[in-house]
Amino acid sequence: MLDLQGYGWLLLKGLQMTVLVGLCAMFMAILFGLLGAWGKFSHSRLANWAADTYTTVVRGVPELILLLLVYYGVPKLIQDGAAALGYELRLDLNPFVAGFMTIGFIYGAFCTEVLRGAFLSVPRGQMEAARAIGMSKALAFRRVQLPLAMRMALPGLGNVWMVLIKATALISLIQLDELMRNAKLAATATHQPFTFYFLASLLFLAITLVSMLVLKRAETWAKRGVRV
Amino acid sequence: MPPEHALVIRNIKKRFGDLAVLNGISLTAHKGDVISLLGSSGSGKSTLLRCINLLETPDEGEVYVTGERIEMTRDRHGKTVPKSQKQVDHIRTRLGMVFQGFNLWSHRTILENIIEAPVHVLGIPKAEAKEYALELLHKVGIANKADSYPDHLSGGQQQRVAIARALAMKPAVMLFDEPTSALDPELVGEVLRVMRQLADEGMTMLVVTHEMGFAREVSSQVIFLHQGQIEEQGSPEQVFNNPRSERCQQFLATQLK
Ligand SMILES: Nc1ncnc2c1ncn2[C@@H]1O[C@H](COP(=O)(O)OP(=O)(O)OP(=O)(O)O)[C@@H](O)[C@H]1O
Ligand SMILES: [Mg+2]
Repeated sequence: MLDLQGYGWLLLKGLQMTVLVGLCAMFMAILFGLLGAWGKFSHSRLANWAADTYTTVVRGVPELILLLLVYYGVPKLIQDGAAALGYELRLDLNPFVAGFMTIGFIYGAFCTEVLRGAFLSVPRGQMEAARAIGMSKALAFRRVQLPLAMRMALPGLGNVWMVLIKATALISLIQLDELMRNAKLAATATHQPFTFYFLASLLFLAITLVSMLVLKRAETWAKRGVRV
Repeated sequence: MPPEHALVIRNIKKRFGDLAVLNGISLTAHKGDVISLLGSSGSGKSTLLRCINLLETPDEGEVYVTGERIEMTRDRHGKTVPKSQKQVDHIRTRLGMVFQGFNLWSHRTILENIIEAPVHVLGIPKAEAKEYALELLHKVGIANKADSYPDHLSGGQQQRVAIARALAMKPAVMLFDEPTSALDPELVGEVLRVMRQLADEGMTMLVVTHEMGFAREVSSQVIFLHQGQIEEQGSPEQVFNNPRSERCQQFLATQLK
């Protein structure tokens, strides 16, 4: 039998943290995505520009650099700024928050494209019927446009999630005790790198498999009423 | 405007860029009137309906619904815009619109389609809205489909649901934009039957149609539009039996063939 020397629980705790940080990041990614898509559709030049810059920057800069920039760079910048103004300030970001915000920000750019396409694919008549019957713009958005776009977006968002969950391994670099970091700790402590990295990859794979099942269900549910 | 004038429009003008689509249209629908709008493609029929419920903003002119005038103003570029979107939204609840392409919300069941606006716009309790929705579905002959999704219904059924959805708001006026044009010929009859019944019950209706039989038999007034103007207007007998305008004669000749 495999001897994990008591480090199995560490992996499971890591798994829990990975899923948690992944879900938070995905939630942020969808929010950033909605914001980005809104920016791309907006009549305001400034909003267009901001949204385009956002997706371009995220595409062009490695995820790791962005993560380190946020976690180490931003607090330092703020501290130096405060020092220049004569304040003594000590600022440490929580790795969990910095991690899911950064990953959410990055994958929000991909969600932007997915959601943009989804909103474009909602037939005009759906919104017109809503407005013509007296719904306000906000109500029609909430009750008609958003749910229709979301179900169009579901497969695309599912893809983003699959990639995003793997990218959370990067957060180990800012000392968050997620699956990757705990696997590394266990591997070092036990001198069994193969065992623990292999188990960690199985756990990542398991997340993906479960996600695929859930997504398939969700897509069937979202497609209710659509005749094939 | 007295409220027995269900719908009054005065001198509506609308252009899209260089194209003048409506060149000053006026009409009055008294309570219970059925007005058929005829005209060849591109004559501005849809645009006229859409200007009435402000899906398009008319450049000029006035719209009164049950005596209430839709207040317009100009934005800083000089474009005409509604003074209050709230008033527009409110007036729209009194104008039922039926589209050529049905436009039922595809993510909601038939019943949900019908109660959506009564519940979320008018604030009617759900149980009450449901009860009325089922009554309406019964009336348009699809009570057994309440829990189906629109995509699972035939075009004729979908259009009857769309009519029920509009009726659920208890509108003062119903606007129909070629409600049977997207339907297979054998499904046209079932939709026209519902519309006839509505007319018999005294609903005020403005109907863009190519169904000459319907226009002749059901209308109290027929209007022929040409290049954004009213070219011929009168009772069905007048318009169909001795139209004064040559263009209207030609149009009717091609339609009645
Ligand atoms: N949103 C728009 N932007 C630009 N042009 C438009 C727009 N809507 C309509 N038009 C133009 O206005 C003219 C009148 O269109 P409208 O749809 O009112 O005609 P119609 O009488 O309903 O024709 P049909 O019988 O084909 O439905 C057409 O030339 C059309 O191309
Ligand atoms: Mg039309």
